[in-house]
Amino acid sequence: MDVALLFAMVVMMMMIGVPIAVSLGLSSVLFLLWFSDSSLASVAQTLFSAFEGHFTLLAIPFFILASSFMSTGGVAQRIIRFSIACVGHLRGGLAIAGVFACMMFAALSGSSPATVVAIGSIVIAAMTQAGYTKEFAAGVICNAGTLGILIPPSIVMVVYAAAVDVSVGRMFLAGVIPGIMAGVMLMIAIYVFARIKNMPKGEWAGWGEIGTSFAQAIWGLLLIVIIMVGIYGIPGITGAIFTPTEAAAVASVYAFIVAVFVYRDMGPLAERDGRPKKSLLQRPDALITAFFHKDTQKTLLDAGKLTITLMFVIANALILKHVLTDEQVPQHIAKVMLSAGLGPITFLIVVNVILLIGGQFMEPSGLLVIVAPLVFPIAIELGIDPIHLGIIMVVNMEIGMITPPVGLNLFVTSGVARMPMMGVVKAALPFLAVLFVFLIMVTYIPAISTFLPTLLMGPELVIN
Amino acid sequence: MLSKIINTLEETLIALLLGMMTLVTFANVVARYVFNSNILWALEITVFMFGWLVLLGASYAVKHASHLGVDALINVLSPSARRITGLIAAAACIVFTFLLFKGAWDYWANFANLPATEGRWFPLGFEEKFRPKGWYEVNDTPLPEILRWMEDAFNDGDEYEKIPRMIPYLVLPLSMALLLYRFIQSAVHLWTGKIDRLVASHEVEDEIEQAANRAEGAN
Repeated sequence: MDVALLFAMVVMMMMIGVPIAVSLGLSSVLFLLWFSDSSLASVAQTLFSAFEGHFTLLAIPFFILASSFMSTGGVAQRIIRFSIACVGHLRGGLAIAGVFACMMFAALSGSSPATVVAIGSIVIAAMTQAGYTKEFAAGVICNAGTLGILIPPSIVMVVYAAAVDVSVGRMFLAGVIPGIMAGVMLMIAIYVFARIKNMPKGEWAGWGEIGTSFAQAIWGLLLIVIIMVGIYGIPGITGAIFTPTEAAAVASVYAFIVAVFVYRDMGPLAERDGRPKKSLLQRPDALITAFFHKDTQKTLLDAGKLTITLMFVIANALILKHVLTDEQVPQHIAKVMLSAGLGPITFLIVVNVILLIGGQFMEPSGLLVIVAPLVFPIAIELGIDPIHLGIIMVVNMEIGMITPPVGLNLFVTSGVARMPMMGVVKAALPFLAVLFVFLIMVTYIPAISTFLPTLLMGPELVIN
Repeated sequence: MLSKIINTLEETLIALLLGMMTLVTFANVVARYVFNSNILWALEITVFMFGWLVLLGASYAVKHASHLGVDALINVLSPSARRITGLIAAAACIVFTFLLFKGAWDYWANFANLPATEGRWFPLGFEEKFRPKGWYEVNDTPLPEILRWMEDAFNDGDEYEKIPRMIPYLVLPLSMALLLYRFIQSAVHLWTGKIDRLVASHEVEDEIEQAANRAEGAN
C-alpha cells in the first residue's frame, strides 16, 4: 500500500511538470523519511554512488560524445547517399533508402529522436521533391527513427544493463538481429505499399556510385566496427579488447578525429566564410588547435548537457531502486502475481502494456530505469531470460514512442516536417502495425534476441 | 554581464570535464596496449569527474530548462493553470534540493572534520560530538604536491598518500546548494511569467527548429 502511494506521488509530480529526476528523487526521499529509518545523508551517498559504484554507466557519456561528433558533420548526408545508391532504384526506393539510412545512423547514435532529426531533415525534403507525399515520408522516418534505441550501441541498453546487472556486451549483441529484422520488415512493407500505389523509383546509378558513396561513408561506419570488435574481439583470433566503457571512449576519440581531420565538417580545417576545406598540410597547427576549437567545445558542451540530463534522471532513479530493494517490493509483487497463477505469457503482456503507455510520455532511459528493477526479479522467478526481457523492454519503448496520442517520436517528426501532429499519427499508423507484429514476435520467440549472444558468448547464467 | 561570465564558466567546465574524462580513459587504453602498463588512478578519477559533471551540471540544466520531464498534460492547460502547476512543481523541486542539501552536508561534513547537522527533516543546529573522518582517503588517486597543505589542515600533519575523500565528495553540498539557488530562481521566473515550465520533453528540443529549417531550405 505504501508503495502504491510512492508510485502515485511519482506519477502525479511528473504530470504537473516536475522534472522526472526530481519526481523520482523527492518521492523516494519522502518515503524513506516517513517509513524507514534511513537518514538524508545516506540518500546523498546513494546519489553519489550512482557514479562511484556503477562503472557500466560510465559508458553513457562516451557513447553520447561519439554520436555528437558523428551528427555534427555531414555523416548523415554521406550515409543517405550510400543508402540511395544501394536501394534507390527500387520502387519506393527513396523511402527504403530512408529506412536503411536510419538503421546505419542508429548504429552510430543510440538515440531515436536524434536519428529522426539527423536523417529526417534531409530525407523528408528529398522524398517530397521526388514526388512522394509528405505524410508518407514523415510516417516512414518517424517509424524507422525508433530503431535508434534497438540497434547497438544503444544508450537505453547500457541503462538496462546497469539497472539489472547484466552484461552490456550481451545486450548489444542481442539487439543486432531484432534491429535488422525490424528494419527489413519496414522495408518490405514500404516495397509492398510502393508497388500497390505505384510510387516513384529512382535511377540505378551503377556500381561506381555505390563504391564512391561507400568510400565516403566508410569512415563513419567504421565507428560501429571499432565498438563491436573492441567489445567482442575478432572471433577466433582475439578475446575482448576493451571494456564497453573503454570502447565508447575510443569511439569518441575516433569520431573526433574523423569529424575534424578526415571529413573536416567541423573544427579548424572546415569550410568557413566561403573558404574551402583546408588540408592538414596547409594548417599543421590544427593538430593542437582542434582540441580547443569552438566547434569542439560546442560538441563537448552539447554532449555534456545530454549526459547531465540523462544521468540526473538515472541517479535519482537509483535512489528509488534503493527504496524498492530495501522494501523488497518486487519480491512481494512477484509473490502476489505467482500466487494468482500468473504465467510468463500474461506477465509479458502486462509488461508490454505498462511500457507502451509509459513510453509515450517519458524519455526511454528514464522509464526503463524505473520499470526494470521492478519487473526484473519477477521475470527471473518466471524463468524469462534477462537479455530477452531487456530486448522486449527496448522494443516496447520504441513502439511507445510512436503510439498515438503522445509518442515522443511523433512530436519530433511533426516538428521536423512542420506537419500537424494528427497528420504524422495517421501517416505512421500502417508502419506502426508492422512494428506491432514485430513486437509480438520478439516477445514470444526468445531466440530472436538470445541466439547471437548465446552463440558468441555462451549461455547466460542467472545467479540469484 | 556577470551572468554571462558565469554561463561561460559553467559551459567551459562541462566541456572540460567531459573532454578530460574521454582523454584519460583513452590514455589508459593506449597505456595498456602501447606501453604495456596501466594508469592506476584513471578509472577512479574518471568516475569522480563523471559525478562532478552531472551533479554540477544539474543546476546549469535547470537554468536552461533542459531537465527531462513530461509535458503532455501541461501543454493542454490554460496559461494561468499552467502557471499554478508550474509553481507547485517548482515548490517540489525546492523541497527536494533543500532536503538533499542537508543530506549532502551531513554526509560530507565529517569527511572534512566538520560537524553534521542534527534533525531528521530540518537542520536543527550542528552536532556537538562526532568522529572526524578527514583521514579517509580514496583508493587509487595519489595526492598532488600542491595539496600537501591539507595534511596539516585536516590530518594532524600525518601524510596523505591518496587524496582525501572530502575532495571528491565536496561536489555533493556544492552542487545541491547551486541547484537550490537555481530552482528558487526558476520559481521566481515562473511567478513573473518569464518562463512557463521547468522541463523539456526530450533531448532534441532545440535542434528540431534547425532541422525543420534545413528541411525547408532543401526544397
